[in-house]
Amino acid sequence: MTDEELAKDLGPLAALTIGVGTMIGAGIFVLPGDAIIKAGSMASVAFVLGGVIAMFTALSASELGTAMPRSGGAYYYVNHALGPLFGSVAGWANWLGLAFASAFYMVGFGRYIARIFGLSGTVGFGPVSISAVKLVALAGAALFVFINYVGAKETGRLQNAIVILLVAILAVFTLLGTLRAAPENLPEARSVVTTLETTGLIFVSYLGFVQITSVAEEIQDPGKNLPRAVIGSVVLVTVIYALVLVIMSAAVPQGFIAGLYENLAPGETAPIAVVEVGQYLQGAAMGGALLFGGLLATASSANASILASSRINFAMGRDRIVTPALNEIHPRFGTPYRAIGITGGLILLFIVIGDLTLLSGAASGLHLIIYGLLNGALIVMRYVNPEEYAPDFIVPLFPLLPIVGGVLSFALLAFVASDALLLSFGIAGAAILWYVLYARTRTEKQGILSEHILSRSDELPDAAVSAAAGVQPDGGQYRVMVPLANPEHEKDLITLASALAKQRGGTVVATHIVTVPDQTALASAAERADEIDETSEHLLNRAREDAETFGVDVETHTIISHKSFEAIFDAARTHTANLVVMGWGPDAHGSPGRAESAMDELTEAVPCDFLVLRDRGFDPSHILLPTAGGPDSDLSASVAQMLQAEYDSDVTVLNVTDDDPEDAEAFLRTWTADHGLDDAQIRVEQGDVESAIATAAEDATLLLVGATEEGLLRRLVSGSLVMDLVDDVDCSVLLAEKHRERGLLERLF
Amino acid sequence: MADLLDRVVVPVASEDDAEASARALARQSYGEAVFVHVVEKAGGAPDKAGVEQRELEAEEMFEAARAVLGDVETDIYYGTDVVETIFDAAEDVDASAVVVTPRGGNRLVQLATGDVALRMVTENDRPVVVLPADQDGEGGT
Repeated sequence: MTDEELAKDLGPLAALTIGVGTMIGAGIFVLPGDAIIKAGSMASVAFVLGGVIAMFTALSASELGTAMPRSGGAYYYVNHALGPLFGSVAGWANWLGLAFASAFYMVGFGRYIARIFGLSGTVGFGPVSISAVKLVALAGAALFVFINYVGAKETGRLQNAIVILLVAILAVFTLLGTLRAAPENLPEARSVVTTLETTGLIFVSYLGFVQITSVAEEIQDPGKNLPRAVIGSVVLVTVIYALVLVIMSAAVPQGFIAGLYENLAPGETAPIAVVEVGQYLQGAAMGGALLFGGLLATASSANASILASSRINFAMGRDRIVTPALNEIHPRFGTPYRAIGITGGLILLFIVIGDLTLLSGAASGLHLIIYGLLNGALIVMRYVNPEEYAPDFIVPLFPLLPIVGGVLSFALLAFVASDALLLSFGIAGAAILWYVLYARTRTEKQGILSEHILSRSDELPDAAVSAAAGVQPDGGQYRVMVPLANPEHEKDLITLASALAKQRGGTVVATHIVTVPDQTALASAAERADEIDETSEHLLNRAREDAETFGVDVETHTIISHKSFEAIFDAARTHTANLVVMGWGPDAHGSPGRAESAMDELTEAVPCDFLVLRDRGFDPSHILLPTAGGPDSDLSASVAQMLQAEYDSDVTVLNVTDDDPEDAEAFLRTWTADHGLDDAQIRVEQGDVESAIATAAEDATLLLVGATEEGLLRRLVSGSLVMDLVDDVDCSVLLAEKHRERGLLERLF
Repeated sequence: MADLLDRVVVPVASEDDAEASARALARQSYGEAVFVHVVEKAGGAPDKAGVEQRELEAEEMFEAARAVLGDVETDIYYGTDVVETIFDAAEDVDASAVVVTPRGGNRLVQLATGDVALRMVTENDRPVVVLPADQDGEGGT
């Protein structure tokens, strides 16, 4: 077997039972009594309605899952498509939603244990008292959290057996029940609104299918098995819910269920409707089987939810929405013990503070928010249609179905109990605040949606563009990429980059870009990797050593490409560089012979700030900075400031003017003050710009010039003014071109 | 000794373990080393932790080993039985021996996790070399 086959070992049945196992515990074994009391004969309809609403989202989740079978499921899709703001909402909602759901399942579990052992009443600890059911729930939750903390792989395998057993018990219950069913037993039907409210109450029975997507990376042949499991689990549980509810309404006399709840002594544990009905219809054996089934069902629901929530934590930590420290794996148990421990603590807390309806309502509300966002994510992915988006399963009738799915999910929120709804929205709001205050400066991943909007900023309305730009992540960390080609200039470039990175507490990303002729396939170049590796390794190791002398973090990468300039641009994007420091000269990336082709590759805008060094020995002791204002000399100023801080350089600021020299001097004074270069020397010259700069540069060791709007690299290879200047002076020249959208200064100040 | 440590497979389970093993190996004269991490699979049931998560962890372990030994070969294996998979890996790379460093931990923890090091020396089909961990207690967990 290949590694791929070994890593993806969840078969179709196992995937299906994750969904069914998570859902069935709540739907059958906890809620039917309340649903029948509330909606009468419409209870069954309420469950079917829930199934239909869930189905729209199940379709969307299936398509997204086959396109991106990644750990984290729903959170991952939302974050990927809609960006980290919504990703933060989806992640927190999914995580806390699962914790609420687990608490709910455990209270259900507590009711079963209480029923079996005849426990009731409350237990007091001094001024605090807690019901017996909750006490059992707490113990049960602690047990399942412990099992997941220590990580027994047997529990996962039990899931299949448990689900098959449950389905078998319910099949027998339903079949035998039909013999006794009679229409005249049906309780009175309630209004549509009550039915919808009932759907809101029982929607916690439809959370499990989305947990299948959180383990999507482990499913065999996900293109086929994931949609089958997701959609199949929703169909299966909807049918089971509907049939069981019909039997529970039609096979017992009217008022039987309501009677169970009457005359309960205060503090007495509420009866479990499905067990009572089973016992009434088919005797103690069925009552016992259902009791046992309920224990297994609620336990497996909680267990699967705790497991799924740790995958969501991982995916959130990977994207730095939460601290990756949460994802630490236990050295012995091999479990994400911190994530499980925290989730466990939340579950215990929720059991203590919430009653059954609040827990189920919060779980439903939070998941409905995710479902709405999931449908939105699907619409965005289809609309933007990025190249790598290739789902095996396609939602039919696009965009109708996901729109209906999203609208229904958000609409059903209106029928979730108001306190639970408030809690759900409170958590969503807190997740937005969390993004703004915490995650935004840390996460680096940008959503497909905002990428799309920002890349078409000319065509789309300004409001959309500024909204997208306003919430995009800034990664927090300042990354300086250095594309290396000629070993001779490695030291100077890395020194410069490290000095800048050090000033910003950032990282140096040294990349060796290996260009191979177009005739050579990249794959065959990769086969020669040994030779390339040796050169790369040597170069990058030196780069690492040089950068480490500055005490900055270093990353190294080797990139094989046909085109060196294009590769630099691509690498700057993929490695989320904030600044690229590269060399230029006859023996650097753009050799004269390649000028024509290099020119074709250039796009107008650079993907981040660029500094291009014409290296004649790096010596920042005397910096000459000619300026007439403008964004690119903002970048030059910022670089000068950083070099000054690192090397205590003398900075001279030069303005060449034909107007009144006093105006120019005044301009330079303001400009230097604005750019933190107060102690720079000010020099004003008149006459020809180029020769004035060349003359002034005679005293300098480094000339720092901003590019013009046209694009620095374009000018560099086309031999225009800037380049002439580069050849006219004897010192090293550093050319600065600022990225248009998110430049150095905006990022930092 | 040179023959036995000609080409060794070093199974690692955590970053600390990788560092301790690498340090232990650095004190020996050896030929080539292949650091291996086994992602334990449940075999048809959801795993204790996600595969992607453990692949990332494995890379961190390999980094820790590289920090001590420089460039070493590394590989991730997947299997339901960690010990069997380690010996499969040893066969794959035609290793002269499998090198382990004691991981400490009390009896109870070893019982709960099924002590891998113990099984390695009782169920081995090729030489297993147990190297002493650092004396100053840096090794182990």
